[in-house]
Amino acid sequence: MTEASNQSAKWDAQLRKGTLELAILAAVASEEKYGLAILNYLHSFETMVISEGTLYPLLDRLKREGVLNAKWHQEGEVRPRKYYSLTESGLERLHILRARWKRSVVDMESLLADTAIGEGNGADSVTETGKRKG
Amino acid sequence: MSGREQISNYLKSFSRYLASLSSEDAAEVIQEIESHIYDVIDQQEMAGKEANIESILAGLGAPRVLAENYVSHIQQGTPPPKGFRPLTSVTKGLSKTLYWGMLAFGYGTGLALIVLAFANLLLPNGIAFWVEAEGNSVAVGFLSNPILANSDATITGLWITPVALVSAYAISLLTYRILALLKRFAVGYQYA
Repeated sequence: MTEASNQSAKWDAQLRKGTLELAILAAVASEEKYGLAILNYLHSFETMVISEGTLYPLLDRLKREGVLNAKWHQEGEVRPRKYYSLTESGLERLHILRARWKRSVVDMESLLADTAIGEGNGADSVTETGKRKG
Repeated sequence: MSGREQISNYLKSFSRYLASLSSEDAAEVIQEIESHIYDVIDQQEMAGKEANIESILAGLGAPRVLAENYVSHIQQGTPPPKGFRPLTSVTKGLSKTLYWGMLAFGYGTGLALIVLAFANLLLPNGIAFWVEAEGNSVAVGFLSNPILANSDATITGLWITPVALVSAYAISLLTYRILALLKRFAVGYQYA
């Protein structure tokens, strides 16, 4: 791993720490999903590659906090799976966190626009930010 | 070791580290992790790959670390209502003091009784009970002078050994049960 990609990975990890909760709430907002489906969905985004060991305890915490509903479903011969969906309180928290995230993005964009440093070699990676993989 | 054995060993080890969760919570957490493992195996096989159990388990992390993540989330808990936080800290501090105090007292007493039982076998007339103040006060100890054993208030005999061993077992068992309850209470009280 090059120094630049190493730094990018560290930055992604730091950023994820603060945004993972928002990412999970967003992942189950449109439809209920079970653990592996949430993990696969998050992995389809370049900066959201988290481990199972991080995801499941966090799902458990969000369920205990009452922002996620969890129900076991069994479809046909498939083994039972625990599906997560947003509660009313979860939807409310999603709106609040989304608003704060958008505010942060605007603030950061303004901060970066004010700097005298050009985008240089990082220009490509900036345009890729937020784009879905594959 | 077969894949199923690897999974079974992982889940067994994981369950041991979840001891501070209620049995219902622990069972649900284990069921979800087991379901995840078999979902990933199915996913890999459907993609035409051979399921790599070691890599699947590595993704979950060491059983102890995974369990710690669950338990730390529970200990962190939901923020208590305003004004409740000081009470929570006091309760938590008290539970901790009570836990270690109970551990020292319970197992200490049990150990002392076991020592007493074996000492009584080595010195049959050297260990005695003293009953004083018309039965209101009882003491146990070593006799430096066995002549004192003739006193009406002094009771000796080999029976002390089995009584001490049974008492040690009973006290240790009781201590173990109380400690398990205290541990669960100290971790899970936020959700009571």
